[in-house]
Amino acid sequence: MSYKDKLKTELFPTIWCPGCGIGLIMTQLAMVMDDLGLDKTNTVIVTGIGCTGRMGAYMQFDSVYTLHGRTLPVAEAIKTVRPELNVIVVSGDGDLTSIGGNHLLHAIRRNPSITVLCNNNEIYGLTGGQTGPTTPVGTKTVSSPEGATFSPVNLQGLVNTNGNAFYAKTTVYHQGQMRRAIKEAIEWPGFAFVDITSQCIENNGRRIGFPSANEMLNYYKKEYRQAPPGSTQLAYHQLGIVKGKPAEAEPVAVGAGSKNGSGEA
Amino acid sequence: MAKRLLQGNEAVLLGAVKAGATYFAGYPISPSSEILMAASVYAAKHPEFRFLQAEDEIASANAIIGASLAGAKSFTATSGPGFSLMQEAIGYAHKLGVPTVFVDVQRVGPATGMPTMPGQGDILQTRYGSSGDYTSIVFYPSSVAECYEYTIQAFNCAEESQSPVVLLSDAFLGHLNEIVDLDTIDVPIVPRTLEPLASGHTRLFSGVATYPDGEPATADADEFIRQYEEAKERRLEVAERYAFYEYGWNKDAETLVIAFGITRRIAQPLAPHFALFRPIRIWPVLQDQLREIAPRYKRLIVIEGSDGQYASVVERVLYRDVHRVPLLGGRMSLEAVREGLDRIGLLPRDLAEATVS
Ligand SMILES: Cc1ncc(C[n+]2csc(CCOP(=O)(O)OP(=O)(O)O)c2C)c(N)n1
Ligand code: SF4
Ligand SMILES: [Mg+2]
Repeated sequence: MSYKDKLKTELFPTIWCPGCGIGLIMTQLAMVMDDLGLDKTNTVIVTGIGCTGRMGAYMQFDSVYTLHGRTLPVAEAIKTVRPELNVIVVSGDGDLTSIGGNHLLHAIRRNPSITVLCNNNEIYGLTGGQTGPTTPVGTKTVSSPEGATFSPVNLQGLVNTNGNAFYAKTTVYHQGQMRRAIKEAIEWPGFAFVDITSQCIENNGRRIGFPSANEMLNYYKKEYRQAPPGSTQLAYHQLGIVKGKPAEAEPVAVGAGSKNGSGEA
Repeated sequence: MAKRLLQGNEAVLLGAVKAGATYFAGYPISPSSEILMAASVYAAKHPEFRFLQAEDEIASANAIIGASLAGAKSFTATSGPGFSLMQEAIGYAHKLGVPTVFVDVQRVGPATGMPTMPGQGDILQTRYGSSGDYTSIVFYPSSVAECYEYTIQAFNCAEESQSPVVLLSDAFLGHLNEIVDLDTIDVPIVPRTLEPLASGHTRLFSGVATYPDGEPATADADEFIRQYEEAKERRLEVAERYAFYEYGWNKDAETLVIAFGITRRIAQPLAPHFALFRPIRIWPVLQDQLREIAPRYKRLIVIEGSDGQYASVVERVLYRDVHRVPLLGGRMSLEAVREGLDRIGLLPRDLAEATVS
């Protein structure tokens, strides 16, 4: 088997702009799926609305292309009904952290055993490059002409409020690390969130001074550093994985899908 | 024969279980919360039945869609404000063709409104609440036994039509206690019709207009219309098998009263003076039945817990004016019905004189 068997290559070229980072995530995900034996009988993809959300259409799996922001309740319910399935959410930063922010907060708390890959391009790509909750302060966008005003959401802090959750920070430049992070996330018994910095060249990068995707990737290479092993808190532009204690208990009947319960229903 | 005292909301839960539901997600809201609470109690004793008290109604609505795709018959229960929050997801379920059931126990709106008072102001929301065109199927029982029966029918119809079906109730009916014998209600159960996720296919369940192969069809009117008409046809065809209504009272009277849900029960003392048409299937509107029955009557009166929502539908279907008795602000009582009839000069003399017991 090859990772290409996980992809509907007959639909290529994809809808994404040349130089977009999303395809790099899809390729790594497909490779991990191949390594782990994930296929259309044991795995479901759930995506949101945004450029990233198109990914499900290109994969050889049953795939649920949800409403904007609603990946997590859909994914959690699928996992509850079919605990044997791998449920993999792939969505944009705006989808997951802005309109879907309340679901994120509560999915973290309930700790379903699902994997979330967040394509964090620090922008609303599909709608033309507006600022969002992940846009760094000062970034000029089509809806923040004077520069983004508010601090970005602290995703690692948020995810790790659940002592059983898994958070990984990576970028599309750091392919090997991204692949390990995705693999470990899928294997994690509980909520696993992979925060992947990637380039939206068309609706962000070029506007903030990057002539091409290549410069953006080089910027990630230069700017991002591995966190010291065992870090429990990642500093700005630090890469790494912050894992909680793996949950032991199986889901209890009420609040099903949760791994926080004692197991004594 | 097991007669028991049962509440409307509890009857909904029992009907859902009978229909084969194994997943409930919801968020507390009066006057529907008993359904959520009863579901939690049921889930605690039956591990195969999964329960989620979600963070809000948006999550609840999307969760039941995910659960249904995964293979479970699923449902949620809410009231006006929560039902409004669910509208985008209801449109999504229509677009995907997901069998699932939304229960709306109506209170008085808009906004937070009158949380514990009965209303019937969601008639049009159940039809037009989400954006775009879609074919709603909605039932509205009027007794505790019917809450049970039509919950089962709602699940059956959802499976057959492969669409979300709404079961309407109201604060009065949801909290009504009646003696029922559920064993006498025998509705065959329609099995699941949607092949669950991860059955070996590579389907794309998309809210975005797409071609069958998953490519975007976001600028193709022909494809859009093809898919829309196909879904509409299936739902209308299935709904025909669920064309429930009641036609009775004094059929020889000159005036036909149209009332549904709890209003029909409240209006019972009008029986000697009027004929009654009670739609149980609220949507698609029972057009053929109305067009057959209404011409026999000189006057039509719609008595309802909104300012003419269903009356406007009847007028549109019949091309004919109807008299309106709106029961507003939660005043859903015989007294309010009498006042309303009096206001339009149609209160029968002996009803005007009778004292309400
Ligand atoms: C309820 C709703 N609000 C707004 C939109 C418009 N919209 C579509 S995608 C999107 C943002 C996408 O940004 P992100 O999630 O970061 O994904 P990206 O395109 O960057 O991959 C918005 C606001 C929508 N589809 N639905
Ligand atoms: S707009 Fe940005 S995120 Fe969307 S496909 Fe183009 S480069 Fe990628
Ligand atoms: Mg984005």
